[in-house]
Amino acid sequence: MKKLIIIILFLAPILIQSQTKLNSTHANLNLTCSNCHSCTIPTKENPCLKPCPRESLIRIDQKPEEGPRVIVIDKLRDTDIYAPVKFSHLAHAEMADMTGGCRTCHHYNPPGNVIGCSDCHETTRKRADITKPDLKGAYHQQCMNCHRSWSGKTDCNDCHVVKEKADLKPVKVKDEKSKRIHPEVKAPEKISFNTKTDKGKFVTFYHNDHTGLFGLECSQCHSNESCAKCHSQIKKPAEIKKSFAEQHKKCSSCHEVKTGCNKCHSNKESGPFNHKISTGFDLAKFHSKLNCARCHTTPSKFTGLIKDCVTCHGTWSWDNFDHKKTGLVLNETHGELDCESCHKDKSYANPTCTDCHDDLTYPKNLPGKLIKR
Amino acid sequence: MINESRRKFLKTSALIGAGITGLSTKSVKAEPKYVLDENRMGVLIDTTVCIGCRKCEWACKTAHDLPTQPIESYDDRTVFEKMRRPDAKALTVVNEYPPKETDQFPINVKVQCMHCDKPACVSACIVGAFSKEENGSVIWDTDKCIGCRYCMVACPFQIPAFEFEKAWHPDIRKCDFCFDRTKEGKLPACVEICPMEVLTYGTRKSLIERAHQKISLYPDRYIKHIYGEFEVGGTSWLYLASKDFHELQFPKLGTNTAPGVSEAIQHGIFAYFVPPVALYALLGGVMWINKKKAESNKNKEVHHE
Repeated sequence: MKKLIIIILFLAPILIQSQTKLNSTHANLNLTCSNCHSCTIPTKENPCLKPCPRESLIRIDQKPEEGPRVIVIDKLRDTDIYAPVKFSHLAHAEMADMTGGCRTCHHYNPPGNVIGCSDCHETTRKRADITKPDLKGAYHQQCMNCHRSWSGKTDCNDCHVVKEKADLKPVKVKDEKSKRIHPEVKAPEKISFNTKTDKGKFVTFYHNDHTGLFGLECSQCHSNESCAKCHSQIKKPAEIKKSFAEQHKKCSSCHEVKTGCNKCHSNKESGPFNHKISTGFDLAKFHSKLNCARCHTTPSKFTGLIKDCVTCHGTWSWDNFDHKKTGLVLNETHGELDCESCHKDKSYANPTCTDCHDDLTYPKNLPGKLIKR
Repeated sequence: MINESRRKFLKTSALIGAGITGLSTKSVKAEPKYVLDENRMGVLIDTTVCIGCRKCEWACKTAHDLPTQPIESYDDRTVFEKMRRPDAKALTVVNEYPPKETDQFPINVKVQCMHCDKPACVSACIVGAFSKEENGSVIWDTDKCIGCRYCMVACPFQIPAFEFEKAWHPDIRKCDFCFDRTKEGKLPACVEICPMEVLTYGTRKSLIERAHQKISLYPDRYIKHIYGEFEVGGTSWLYLASKDFHELQFPKLGTNTAPGVSEAIQHGIFAYFVPPVALYALLGGVMWINKKKAESNKNKEVHHE
């Protein structure tokens, strides 16, 4: 027993210290420990980190111009037959900005600055830890995924020049901070698709609804898109005959595409999403600032919610409801009544006065004072 | 005097015969030269990463002093139009399997010796030229080789090749896991050059661990099968792929060791000399019957006269 106490006394400061240190770096981030750690109490000696890449982890997204403009990749210059590659980081960051952002390449970003490939990946191929590729492998695995789809080619000399033929002058980076390399692609507000079907020829896609109201991230639709989306060198998209599944691929991850065609397909251009028109429940009054998921708690299921207040709020009482929020401050006599005395139906909309008052009606007569909400 | 020497000869031949039967049931088994080393090396080939640049082919030829075109010529992708096999002039080749969907990449697969844990070539080699080494490689001694090419027939992956075009001193050629390079602490040439690190070099144990980890990290990317983990009793070179290995022309093999099967047949044929003795007895019987027939015919002919 004594031994146990001694051990606990000895371990306690270490544990506390490790905990506080952790807090100093992980402090402002809303994290789940199990995202990165496989054990319950990670220590500095044994952080029990899960294997890389920990993609679903933390993201630090910067604007393209915040990063370096050109990076000279020369970490492998001693062993390589090729000269260092002058990598236009800005151009690539701008391209990534149109899809997944920094994490298109920086797949692991712990708190702090955005980290580069060589911070984790070893330069030597013969090594003990084979759980992640070496630096040469890491570079190429990131580059080739896009470069292959873009041109279909894997030629080395697209990026590399052999040492003897290389221009070894240092890169001059002019201070052109404001100048972009890739023209900015502005997100469209809406896109009208003129489809080949006879019934419901038009599909009006409101891009701003999807990014704003529905809160989708670019990468949820635009992943694996790369340059070929606009700059296809192989085939023009129209020339390829797509199957039904391929045609609806982008939408089908959220929308049920096999049934209910007329939800998207129409004979004329349709308006943007309106919760009141589509569902009969007006969000504009009190629910305009809410994220969809606040009420639609089952992931990717947005139907079947009952319009009554109780569905989300529970039964109203004086403890959980401040009548002032409706824009009407109740006077003393009405301020002591139960909600149900006046609000007979579940929608808590207009009150019933006739139970007590013979000669008074709402909204002609008010049970209090109107204020500005 | 004559009788005595005859007796001696019979005695020695009986002894030799007994010795051979003893050997064939005990010591002549396809065990590696050493007991399989726990830390024997291997290579994990992730076919989902390979881009088919064929730099490994160039590096292999260069490391083994085989004639090769300049490295730039390897960018030519028209070679993928037909399937190739490793031969005496190219110990490793990369093949390409075109994608089914338009938006997918083709699958490139590097082919070379698998360096089996229980190699059939070692078992089949009648002069003991082949051996499984401590570091996992399966190599052979050219000086011992008599060119019988039993290894070519025995190999379940059809890897050993023969320099048929050479009239003088033709050799068996196959991937030797860069035995000379690894001895000096270098990496195998193909592993060293691969830009994508499709080829991971490490102990077989750690590679299997890593391969399982990859499968669990990316269940959509890989099928749940490490080719070579159990095939023909395990191989030092292992493969990961996105679709069934049979579609990538990998032979469908059981988990039984290849020598186990061939040796069972071989040893069955010669078990305790019963089948050869039976065969000779049968032939002797046929001869005896024929002789009898001939004699009776002769007698008949004499009778006629």
